[in-house]
Amino acid sequence: MTGPPADLASAAFSSLYAENNRAIYYLALRYLGDPQKAEDATHDVFLKAFRKLDQFRGEASHRTWLYRIAINHCRNLQQAWHDRHVFANTDDPIWDCAVANADSPLRVLEIKELGRLIQKVLDALPDEYRLLLLLVADEELSYEQVGMLTEQSPDAVRGKLHRARKAFTVLFKKYTDSNHETPKPIFR
Amino acid sequence: MKHQSQFSDEQQSRQAGTEHQTQPEAAREFASAEEMLRYDAKQTAVPPEIARRLQKSTGDLPGPKTAWWKRWLGGGQ
Repeated sequence: MTGPPADLASAAFSSLYAENNRAIYYLALRYLGDPQKAEDATHDVFLKAFRKLDQFRGEASHRTWLYRIAINHCRNLQQAWHDRHVFANTDDPIWDCAVANADSPLRVLEIKELGRLIQKVLDALPDEYRLLLLLVADEELSYEQVGMLTEQSPDAVRGKLHRARKAFTVLFKKYTDSNHETPKPIFR
Repeated sequence: MKHQSQFSDEQQSRQAGTEHQTQPEAAREFASAEEMLRYDAKQTAVPPEIARRLQKSTGDLPGPKTAWWKRWLGGGQ
């Protein structure tokens, strides 16, 4: 392996981990919906980054570079699981016909329930919406960067984000109103 | 999170994937899904086990030999 001197590479990796571990773990956690899988995925993503550190050319930010590795990794895991467990589901998404304002505030009565509630809602969203919301929630990313990571234009990101917000809002209100009713997966 | 006989809460919290460090508020309102996710992300603790595993994994690889993880884990070990 060629690359920077060991001390420099080591320091660079240390910084890379310190600055990005929370963002990558959170994406993996909420995308995969399983703490153990998220831990494994975060480990694997940073290990890949460690191996490829000398190939990083600075064309993207470290954060987007790591996100790209993480998204590919999580998608592969998700696909492997999907192939084994999920069959076609033709149900119509409930948010398509729901009347809801995507910009209306979301109220949670028990903050300690928030993580569980968020995971329920995200699990019921299509992968595309889930990923979009998770990336847009990272204030370090611009719409352009989110577009690059999801392979679409910034305008397409804005359009889909509106629908993703509406879907999230509809499901969130449904689950809070029904007092933690177990959601039915919609589709992937 | 308090430690007094809250095993089931803690266990459920782990299953949900969050270890919210403090819950000073009972109720909260968020302006958008993103704001809620941002709050959740800040409250979610990254398991220290990941850094430990990376320490071992990167130690087995050719490449940087300096213990990067010492800086991250506080210089011990």
